[in-house]
Amino acid sequence: MTWIRVIVARCRGLLLRKGVEANLNEELDGHIEMLVEDNLRRGMAPDDARYAALRNFGGTEQMKEEYREQRGLPMLETLAEDVRYGFRQLRRNAGFTLVAILTLALGIGANTAIFSAVYAVLLKPLPFSNAGQLVRVFEANDRAGIGGTACSYLEFREWQRQNHVFSAMAAVAAHELNLTGRGEPMVVRVGDVTSEFFSVLGVKPLLGRAFLAADDQPGAAPVVVLSYDLWRSRFAADPSLVGSSIDLDKKSFTVVGVMPARFQFSFFDEGPGRQLWIPIVQDPLFGPPAMQPLQHLYTALARLKPGISEAQAEAEMQTVGNRLWPEFRPGDKGWVIRTASVRVAVTGEDASAPLFVLLAAVGLVLLIACANVANLLLARATSRAREFAVKAALGASRGRILRQLLTESAVLGLLGATLGIALAYWGVRGLSGLLPRSFPRADSIQVEGWVLVFALVLSLGASLLFGLAPALFAADPRLHSTLQESSGRPGEGKDRRRVRNLLVVTEVALAMALLIGAGLFIRSFASLMSVNPGFETHHILRAEVSLPRFQYSMPQQWVTFSNEALERIQSEPDLRDTAEVLPMPIADQSVNLPFSIVNGPPLPPGRTITADYATISPNYFQVVGIPLLRGRYFSRQDVISSPRVVIVSAELARLYFPHRDPIGQQLVFGFLSDPSGRREIVGVVGDTRAVALSRPPGPALYVPFSQAPLWGVGLVTKTSSSASAAAQEIAAKVHEVDPDLPVTDVQWMTEVVDTSLGQARLRTWLLGLFGVMALILAAAGIFGVISYSVSRRTHEFGIRMALGAGANEILRLVLKEALGLALAGVVIGIAVALGLARPVSSLLFGVRATDPVTLIVLPLVLTGAALLAAYLPARRATRVDPLAALRTE
Amino acid sequence: MTGGKEDILRGTLDLLVLKTLETLGPLHGYGIARRIEQVSEQLLHLNQGTLYPALLRLEQRGWISSKWGTSDNNRRARYYSLTKSGKKQLAREAESWERMVGVIARLLQGEAIIG
Repeated sequence: MTWIRVIVARCRGLLLRKGVEANLNEELDGHIEMLVEDNLRRGMAPDDARYAALRNFGGTEQMKEEYREQRGLPMLETLAEDVRYGFRQLRRNAGFTLVAILTLALGIGANTAIFSAVYAVLLKPLPFSNAGQLVRVFEANDRAGIGGTACSYLEFREWQRQNHVFSAMAAVAAHELNLTGRGEPMVVRVGDVTSEFFSVLGVKPLLGRAFLAADDQPGAAPVVVLSYDLWRSRFAADPSLVGSSIDLDKKSFTVVGVMPARFQFSFFDEGPGRQLWIPIVQDPLFGPPAMQPLQHLYTALARLKPGISEAQAEAEMQTVGNRLWPEFRPGDKGWVIRTASVRVAVTGEDASAPLFVLLAAVGLVLLIACANVANLLLARATSRAREFAVKAALGASRGRILRQLLTESAVLGLLGATLGIALAYWGVRGLSGLLPRSFPRADSIQVEGWVLVFALVLSLGASLLFGLAPALFAADPRLHSTLQESSGRPGEGKDRRRVRNLLVVTEVALAMALLIGAGLFIRSFASLMSVNPGFETHHILRAEVSLPRFQYSMPQQWVTFSNEALERIQSEPDLRDTAEVLPMPIADQSVNLPFSIVNGPPLPPGRTITADYATISPNYFQVVGIPLLRGRYFSRQDVISSPRVVIVSAELARLYFPHRDPIGQQLVFGFLSDPSGRREIVGVVGDTRAVALSRPPGPALYVPFSQAPLWGVGLVTKTSSSASAAAQEIAAKVHEVDPDLPVTDVQWMTEVVDTSLGQARLRTWLLGLFGVMALILAAAGIFGVISYSVSRRTHEFGIRMALGAGANEILRLVLKEALGLALAGVVIGIAVALGLARPVSSLLFGVRATDPVTLIVLPLVLTGAALLAAYLPARRATRVDPLAALRTE
Repeated sequence: MTGGKEDILRGTLDLLVLKTLETLGPLHGYGIARRIEQVSEQLLHLNQGTLYPALLRLEQRGWISSKWGTSDNNRRARYYSLTKSGKKQLAREAESWERMVGVIARLLQGEAIIG
């Protein structure tokens, strides 16, 4: 343990330096005095006595130095000294320092901001105990092209009973209900769960209890667990709420518990402040189908037993599944059971790719920033060459000079990081405001713990990156010859110029690659913006009416209500063009249904064909301007008692009736309230991008609402009045039918489309911003190198001008140098961009990775910027006074 | 160094200091230096200054401790004394020194016989 004592003693020595130093001097003086006195006693002359004493004692200063090194922590002291020296150097070159710090702050700040998003979405531990053990369990059928699907409730219960690999399992589903009483009616997000849900996630309620197994029994008393936010915002955090009851869709539920604030389970995107959980069996929508073995509506969550891998779990579940499929997937072959980490389920697969594109982009920005600073440092190292030569002459080793220079770089890097983190903090706050609400875990994006560590490591790494090459050159022992040079201008070797040029070419190349990438995404977004959705969005207002499920439990009630409401709304002159559609285009989650063709060509076994599904009022196509291509629209005569009809999209007709007239053919499909049955095709309409603008139109099926109602009312209105006026009129008409129903989500369709593009827009803006940053940094790099080159060639220009060269010739000479560097960078950058284009091409819409416009315009822009940046120093070169230039030599 | 004086072997200074403090009790730096020179009968050459880094090293390891006191001629001086663990260390170092001396002696004798 001696070494611990030594370190403690050394640290004390470091801290108490002053007192210890005085003590040492006193002790040594005393020693020498005693020596002198002894010598005097021996009869030496006073001078001799002192001289002999000093000789006997040896070199005092040398000894003190040794003593000091022994006393403290010399490494640390040197470091502190270097840091102090570094600060002094940076202060002395305020201009250089400012430019370097700003450059680094931009690079580090952008990286920190984007990394904070990556961290929150992809890396931050989920707020559940041992989140690594949590998996989603789902069925897939590769042969049928089904990547993952929900299971039925009874099937889930069998999984739960028969497996030995999970310590607990829970089933979940989600939708919305109306919360009434105690204030305005509001729509809440309902998590339908089995009683094991909270214990699977390993989270205990803040107040009251979680669900019990008894709550899962059909006929049990209705109970509800509230989220902390809902409890606070709606019920003023009233602790006595537990035990009392609240109304969901006008049915009374007893509040049994409140979850803690941090608990959030965003499987299905939910707004903050309106989440609660009820047992599946008590839900008006998902409760009844829970008893039916073929209603595959539920998502299974499970916690792996300790020591069980996902592969082991999948293997076991496969044997369980093989036993169960005859009952739950009759007739189908090729089913497998898979597991996936809950994180993927929470964030979605497609969240990571765009984030990584952004991270790569900011990474490039930082690299460019580093190259820039490295170039600045190189120039400065040249002008400081004498300083290093003197240091080396005084005995500083190469390593010592290197260490000092790298310390200076680190100081610079950390200053940049400090400012960068401030920028990132500010940027992230702006960023989360811009994020669409559907962005996974957007609320947890912040500059915190690991993000700060990332920023610091990044800045130190960057310091090494930009500091090493200049430091190596500065510490070059050959520089000693500098001292011998008579002129005040130490020479710059060929090596060094090559490095400077290499750096600036790299910089331009990186900027080029990034610009092309940004350009592609901008073009992609532009084509997304201008894509024809296949239906009108201008002057189309949408609104939803939320129906209480317990009151409106029968599909026929939905039809009656919506017919009556629609009729009353249409009686208003400026709302005459009002139609009904569910699910609503773009705004709602789409419904994709399997279907089959009567007397159609046989499908390969195990393959199903699907189409997007919507149920509409007869006038829907006219209201939103979807053209009729063949046959007829629906009419008021297409009701529940008349023959069942369907209208298909042009894409469906093209795919499945390539050589036949689809009119009069029959399809078989069904959905919830509308059990499977044959429907005759009566019309073909134009294709739409109703699922998402970025999705090419797929096959689509439309059925009359009267024949296949869905719960709820989705309204679209072509109107010239204002949104608020129309909303009031709609609400008034709806309330004539039922005064308790809230009219929600009143929005222009253009806004809906806009919102749906939120993520793509943000990504495009950010990439554009980073592209511009890269462009500016690269131009600054060219400016720096050319300025430097011009200042070094003043003498040469003087001679040239003395020999008769005109200003234009000098200008051309300088610009040619800049052009050479820029073009080299641009060519390399294009090559890099083409190489990188393949992985991002799947994120592009309507533009190819080799888009000629991008590949021609942006290189021109960058080259232009480079020439512009070189023009300023070039102009300076033409103003060289030949006489003055020659005299300075 | 000329005049038959030997430089102190590296690493033996610690042993000499510890032994001196064991024999004479608390002593200031000058006292230690003088004692070492006396005992060696002026055969060992000691740059007295080199004593202080050694004293610091020993103190950092906890083998000696120091406090300020007054010398015979009323001068403020720092007195060093052996600690408990210093005593143990002295025993260890003395033993290993003797082993080393033994080895070298045997080696030299052996050489003498063969020679």
